[in-house]
Amino acid sequence: MTSTATPVTTARPRLSWRVRLRRDRSLLLMTVPAVVLLLVFNYVPLFGLATAFQEYDPLVGVWNSEWVGFDQFTRLFADSLFWGALNNTLYLSFVQLVLFFPIPIALALLLNSVISQRIRNFVQSVVYLPHFFSWVLAITVFQQMLGGAGVLNQFLRGNDIGTWDIMTNPHTFALLVTSQAIWKEAGWGIIVFLAALAAINTDLYEAAAVDGAGRWRRLWHITLPGLRGVIMLMLVLRLGNALTVGFEQFLIQRDAVGHEAADVLDTFSFYYGIATGNYSYGAAAGLFKSVISLLLIWGANKLAHAFGEDGLYRR
Amino acid sequence: MGTELNRRSFLSASLVGVAAMSPLLAACGSGPAQKTGANTESGLQAALPAYAPSSPVTPDIPSVPGGPDIMTDPGFLTYPANPVATVPGVPGRGGSYSAVTPLWGTVPPAGNAFYQAMNKALGVELTMKPADGNNYNTIIPTMTAAKKLPDWIQLPSWWNSNFNVGGLAGTQLADLTPYLAGDKIKKYPNLAAIPTGAWRAGAWGDKLYGIPSFSSSIALAGVVFFRRDIFDAKGITADQVRSADDLMNLGKELTDAKAGVWAFDDVWTYLYPAWGLPNKWAVDNGKLVHKYELPQFLDALDWHNKLAANGYLHPDGMAGDKSNANTRFYAGKTLITGDGTGAWNLADYQSGTAATASFRRGAFNVISADGKATPQLFLGPSTSELSYLNGNLKPEQIEELLAVANYLAAPYGSAEYTMVNFGVEGLHYTRQNGVPTATDAGKKEVQAQTFPFLASPRAVISNPGGDVVTKDYAAWQAANAKSLYKPVFWNMNISMPQSVATADAAQPVEDAIKDCYHGKKKVADVQSAIATWKSSGGDKLTQWMTDNVLSKYGTGQ
Repeated sequence: MTSTATPVTTARPRLSWRVRLRRDRSLLLMTVPAVVLLLVFNYVPLFGLATAFQEYDPLVGVWNSEWVGFDQFTRLFADSLFWGALNNTLYLSFVQLVLFFPIPIALALLLNSVISQRIRNFVQSVVYLPHFFSWVLAITVFQQMLGGAGVLNQFLRGNDIGTWDIMTNPHTFALLVTSQAIWKEAGWGIIVFLAALAAINTDLYEAAAVDGAGRWRRLWHITLPGLRGVIMLMLVLRLGNALTVGFEQFLIQRDAVGHEAADVLDTFSFYYGIATGNYSYGAAAGLFKSVISLLLIWGANKLAHAFGEDGLYRR
Repeated sequence: MGTELNRRSFLSASLVGVAAMSPLLAACGSGPAQKTGANTESGLQAALPAYAPSSPVTPDIPSVPGGPDIMTDPGFLTYPANPVATVPGVPGRGGSYSAVTPLWGTVPPAGNAFYQAMNKALGVELTMKPADGNNYNTIIPTMTAAKKLPDWIQLPSWWNSNFNVGGLAGTQLADLTPYLAGDKIKKYPNLAAIPTGAWRAGAWGDKLYGIPSFSSSIALAGVVFFRRDIFDAKGITADQVRSADDLMNLGKELTDAKAGVWAFDDVWTYLYPAWGLPNKWAVDNGKLVHKYELPQFLDALDWHNKLAANGYLHPDGMAGDKSNANTRFYAGKTLITGDGTGAWNLADYQSGTAATASFRRGAFNVISADGKATPQLFLGPSTSELSYLNGNLKPEQIEELLAVANYLAAPYGSAEYTMVNFGVEGLHYTRQNGVPTATDAGKKEVQAQTFPFLASPRAVISNPGGDVVTKDYAAWQAANAKSLYKPVFWNMNISMPQSVATADAAQPVEDAIKDCYHGKKKVADVQSAIATWKSSGGDKLTQWMTDNVLSKYGTGQ
């Protein structure tokens, strides 16, 4: 992920594939299980995308279902609920990008500046922990704390201060889910940045300090440039996933804030496709999402290359 | 953040996978050129088995009749000391069969002592393969898609459209009409004692397919419950509540948010019928009308919206947290809640009294919202669990399995019933104060119910060790049996083309309704959702139902 690749490889004369196969066979063998997994669970199911162009009936199977061309998509694009879900997805994605994305970086920088290994390990464990909770549990914790009958509101009520309705308010839902995501995932997100920080040559800091560079100058001129490649990579991935903001989190809280605030593309596919037996419709919505995501990730990668960064792969 | 993104991208990949892999996973809907699967009244009459009630054990609280086809469940306070046998000899002739049933619990070990004892008693090699009830609707379609159903299978009717039972009937499922129609069922007296309504629920296209389990002549979607112990202490009785206004006043009186007590949990699903609303369809001057289009539907919504706006609804209920609803009720954090009638059972009583020693569940009588109209509540389908035999079985195999079903359907308190529900005395249960009580082996092998999902007798009320539950529930049934009516298309099976089924599910309207009774949307918002629904399929649905069901098969009432 950091600068481990040797630039020499490009200069080397290309060996025939037979020789390379011989040379790399044990490495290739090691990747086989992962490739098989990828094929079985990610590529074979792609075949089912055919149902997006059908009026799919599970009883007669995908071969005998009626082909309807783009009918499902025509219906989809005329469905205001679909546009509402897309709108929510993009809005939530934007809010998360602005509020969530910088936090793991800041946390990593903060942790990196802590000298005591014991404190560091302790803080790291505490912020990692919520990642291992399921969304059901995370949201239950929020409900018990901030819900209408939760600890906070019962305290406010008891003191006649008036209540704070955050768990069921559709207008502040984006902030709620983002803070839930930060609580649950920000700690886990720092791992990559900590690794990148560890790869920065400490000699640079020493040299800079000798030259009289203060803490902020070192941060600005050494740390951040060292992190730039990783930050860019993460940003590219994040943009590519702009239409994927999560599923369970919204499924669980849908009844709390109403479907208009909580429906994202994934829950839309679920409720209006799978749950009502309308598989083709759900598949069409899923395919639309995948195509747009592919375009987004391609665009973001181009952008990264334009800025002279690696992006997903080296050009 | 990297791993975070990976997790998410995996999730999205798996979700697209779910939607895309559906041909392999799931079933639903219907083929393009499909029959409705509904029954004609005359055709069905010829197929329905003759009803011959039997009760080898006299109930402590006898059944009382309500309207036509309506009868309360008999109540039993004791278990017979010497159960009588209702099936002479061994029903089977040594055939080997497989059976799949849903199980909401821990799967008992294969080939266990109970299975062996049952096979001996039944005279067949019946291999039970219980499958996880929570995923049952995704497990079965893989079997139907591969045309590899077991010999005997339970297909709960609330998943009829997921399974496309209408399409399976006559192709993969066996037609039982030649064996059971009319007086032919007399060969199987315990099956003949199952109420006729339940056989209707398993009929498709004028033919019998399903064998009913857990049938009742007073099946209801649910009722509005209250904490009777707390009401008694406050001097409030159920019959003081005669209108929606009375309930609203209770909301005001009982809610004490500072103390963490709210009068209501979600009740919409169980209370809206009080506004004279049907479960789905009404016939007005020969015309089919959906409940969404009835003016009183908006009144009902308005009342529930006010209930939330007034702050009488528990905040967690408003946040859609259903899983803890019982905990809130047991702890006295909510005092009025809606639930299925199945909630009125021994386990509930034990959990409730564990939380509050004085816990007692009560239910309001059926009311009319204005307190003036005659209170009415629609009846649910007589059964929601039906088992089917594989269409590839030979006639003699079908007869053998029907004889087995006859054994499984032996009435409450009989020797066969004791065997199916409690196992072998000494090994699976012992008598304590006359009540069969499960041993550890019994808890593991028998209490995880499998056989009753293939066939079981009509429902009774029996809660050994919790007589108050049996008495309360039986009394409620007796008091309300007269207020029940058979709704339009009662016990009728209808399979629809996908576009019609989508309008029938009306997900956008149901979403708007939920937002409305949780106080997040106004009644006007639901009205506009209904208008959109009407123009985008609702009107077509009404037309389709009129043309294909109402005008051909009548109302089924």
